[in-house]
Amino acid sequence: MKNEIALHHPDAQGLLMAHAVDACVHCGFCLPACPTYQVLGDEMDSPRGRIILMKEVLEGGLPLFEATPHLDRCLGCVGCVTACPSGVPYGELITSFRGWSEPQRSRPVIQRLTRAAVLTMLPRPALFRVGANVGRFAKPLAPLLPQALRAPLDLLPNTVQPAQPLPEFTPAQGVRRGRVSFLSGCAQQVLTPNFNAATVRVLSRNGVEVLIPPAQGCCGAAAMHTGARPLALEQAWRNLNAFAPDEVDAIVSNAAGCGAGLKEYPMLLAGEGAANEVRAETLAAKVRDISVYLAELSADGGLEPFMPTSRPIKVAYHDACHLAHAQGVKAEPRALIRSIPGVTLAEVRQGDLCCGSAGTYNIEQPDLANQLGDLKAKNVIATGADYVVSGNVGCHTQLQSHLARLGSPIKVLHTIELLDLAYRGEL
Amino acid sequence: MNIFGRGKTSGNTSRENRRPEKDGLMTDPRTHTRPSEGSAQMHPLATELTHALGSRKVLVSAGERRMYSYDAIQMGVVPVCVALPESTADVVLAVKAARAAGIPIVGRGAASGLSGGAAPTQPSLVLSFTRMTELSIDPVRREAHVQAGVITLAISEAARPHGLVYPPDPASFRTSTIGGNLAENAGGPMCFKYGVTGDYVKALEFVDADGEVHRLTRDAYDLAGLLIGSEGTLGLITEATLRLSTPAKFTRTLMSSFPTVGQAAEAVSSAIAAGAVPAKLEFMDQACVNAIEDYLHVGLPRDAGAMLLVDTDGDDLETVEEELALVEAACQSSGGTVRRAATDTEAASLWQARRSVSPALGRIRPQRMNEDIVVPRSVLSEVVREVEALGVASGLKLVQFGHIGDGNLHPNILFDPRTESEEAVHALAQQIASVAIRHGGVLSGEHGIGSMKLEFMAEAVDPVTLACLWDVKRALDPQERLNPGKVLPRPGEARHD
Repeated sequence: MKNEIALHHPDAQGLLMAHAVDACVHCGFCLPACPTYQVLGDEMDSPRGRIILMKEVLEGGLPLFEATPHLDRCLGCVGCVTACPSGVPYGELITSFRGWSEPQRSRPVIQRLTRAAVLTMLPRPALFRVGANVGRFAKPLAPLLPQALRAPLDLLPNTVQPAQPLPEFTPAQGVRRGRVSFLSGCAQQVLTPNFNAATVRVLSRNGVEVLIPPAQGCCGAAAMHTGARPLALEQAWRNLNAFAPDEVDAIVSNAAGCGAGLKEYPMLLAGEGAANEVRAETLAAKVRDISVYLAELSADGGLEPFMPTSRPIKVAYHDACHLAHAQGVKAEPRALIRSIPGVTLAEVRQGDLCCGSAGTYNIEQPDLANQLGDLKAKNVIATGADYVVSGNVGCHTQLQSHLARLGSPIKVLHTIELLDLAYRGEL
Repeated sequence: MNIFGRGKTSGNTSRENRRPEKDGLMTDPRTHTRPSEGSAQMHPLATELTHALGSRKVLVSAGERRMYSYDAIQMGVVPVCVALPESTADVVLAVKAARAAGIPIVGRGAASGLSGGAAPTQPSLVLSFTRMTELSIDPVRREAHVQAGVITLAISEAARPHGLVYPPDPASFRTSTIGGNLAENAGGPMCFKYGVTGDYVKALEFVDADGEVHRLTRDAYDLAGLLIGSEGTLGLITEATLRLSTPAKFTRTLMSSFPTVGQAAEAVSSAIAAGAVPAKLEFMDQACVNAIEDYLHVGLPRDAGAMLLVDTDGDDLETVEEELALVEAACQSSGGTVRRAATDTEAASLWQARRSVSPALGRIRPQRMNEDIVVPRSVLSEVVREVEALGVASGLKLVQFGHIGDGNLHPNILFDPRTESEEAVHALAQQIASVAIRHGGVLSGEHGIGSMKLEFMAEAVDPVTLACLWDVKRALDPQERLNPGKVLPRPGEARHD
């Protein structure tokens, strides 16, 4: 689409946005792939509409406030990127746009406080653990609180599980086949500590040494996607300094959103100097989702055999948007699940559609998040599966909460937890 | 009548060297941007409609109105307000209010059209039908009852549990609405064997320019036929009763690659001459193949000069296989390499690839001018060769694909307006149109005329017929309030350079 964005914004981030808009031919193939268009049915809540809104704002033809209600409803699921034949990097466009527009916005006090609280606590497991414990006791008061405070409380677990600290180095069992650095994430250390423990166990069992660099921190995805660019940059610097991509076979993540976040560093650091851009590229090139790393290992000599399940088990696989759409990972987790003897894989209807979790979306757009969560839970229930597995902590929490609301007994696991249970003979 | 129907190749005028008007044909003309935007004052019609329909069904802000100014090819004029009717009664209210205010009305579905049909040419009320999505299937009568905003693919999805299917399959069928398909008389790959949208219409409901509701069947004067393909210029289609059919029991798919476009076209002519009636018969050249391959990575032959994608289907497996063998032999004798799809999944991914061609071309250049010519099958190979040669001679990026089975080709000129001359693009488009006309073809197969093909229409229709079309238009819309500036050029509007 013809645009004059580069004239108004000749910097690196501006050029990135201009190129994204250039690629759009406004064909509308993205419309059915967009969760908010599915729910709301209006053009301005579709990817095509949002691209044109951003273009108009960037060119000065439309005031920002006209566009923000619709841009804020975007989950950032990038389902539209998968559906786009002309290759529009929509994720880069909306992320850069949010980084550019956020400093110009005035948000209500309560929204600013919630945002600050989330972005301060999420990346700090120790602080988040305290917050979660306090929040747990505030839960019964939720009905009395305003919506802006109720939504974050909803997301907190009813019980906070004990921490499972992991060593900086875990040796490979048997013959050493690989050496990886592991991104241990932040919120999930508190919400779902078993994800990381299971990841390290499965890697080690398959002959992989696991390093957990202690200097690492939050990947910065939450900050990046909410427009807090300075914070995102600060977090990215920390990880660029903590990880040494040349010394390992891969930098492994077990959270779809975080893996995708690391892969977005080249975009985040665009315009921060050529040397830094190269560092970001080098790190991003080494990032693998745990399912992809295991699939590569499997292709290169196989995995340690799984114990057969005690009875036939049906497992539904839920595509996390930041795996399926942002990283293009769909086949690998499915292949791993199918390789467990006794497990059959079930597909979820409308599987390409986001579950409505999407980072801080639950907190900022609770109505839409709930509608999408409810739709997803119903589609999962319709599979008749015993378990539903996914590769992302946000989806995990959303699935748990909406399945529970509908009274479903389906258990929610991370893909790696399923593999771990299969190794332990506990399926 | 139906001079512009798919596969029809009736006579055309052969006046030469006419240059189409720029704004009518190009994507993204900058001439019509941002009128009346930024003004905080609501248009009186917006106030009136908000009162009549409720604010939930009316969009008034500058940003939201702008979202209803374009389709999949053309940026149009920002509407004065947008109504989102939920029933025929809402449409009636909106039409009457617009009539009283003297404001034109443009109907809009999902805006996936490729001729500018839903992009206003002047400040208008846009009626978006996306909330009119009631759909029911009558399996005994084999009918679907649909409101205008139903997504095309949803009809087949709802019919499938009853063992029924709705065959018309425009490439955008996951996005497009049935109202838009009816207004453009949309086609698709399946239409070669099974007919276009209009062939499935049993009855229509529409609201006329005065806000009166009409219910039409196909008997007596076929007024439903008149509304089909009228692009919202005669009335606003609100509901339809569609014929459903039973899906073929067996389908077989093959892909054939050829060194040159001419050989692919020869294979088509000889396969059909040999008696094969494929369900789908699609063509794309090397640039198209590579653009799709960049998107989907399905293993298409990047080195081939052209490829054909063919389905044969039917209830008798032996006949289906025989027809496929006929096509296969024709491809091989024209120098093609044939590969049969081994599984349904492989066939599905090949057809997804075909549906992605048009938007995937955005990967090559940011803008394009698309054509929609239909030529007799006997001259296909001459036409594709001549068009290819014109592209090479022009120095512009020209690609070809289309529903070659019924002679419907989409030459697309891809260009970057920052570095390439739009004059040259127009000149090439005109040369391609001349090739089609010289070979006894027509200029619009399935995309509709809209505003993009208005100039072509002026050339292709003789003055007597055009006067007759205007008589029809004036009988139903004397004030010219329904989608003005579309389909019909004014008499004498054709340019004589």
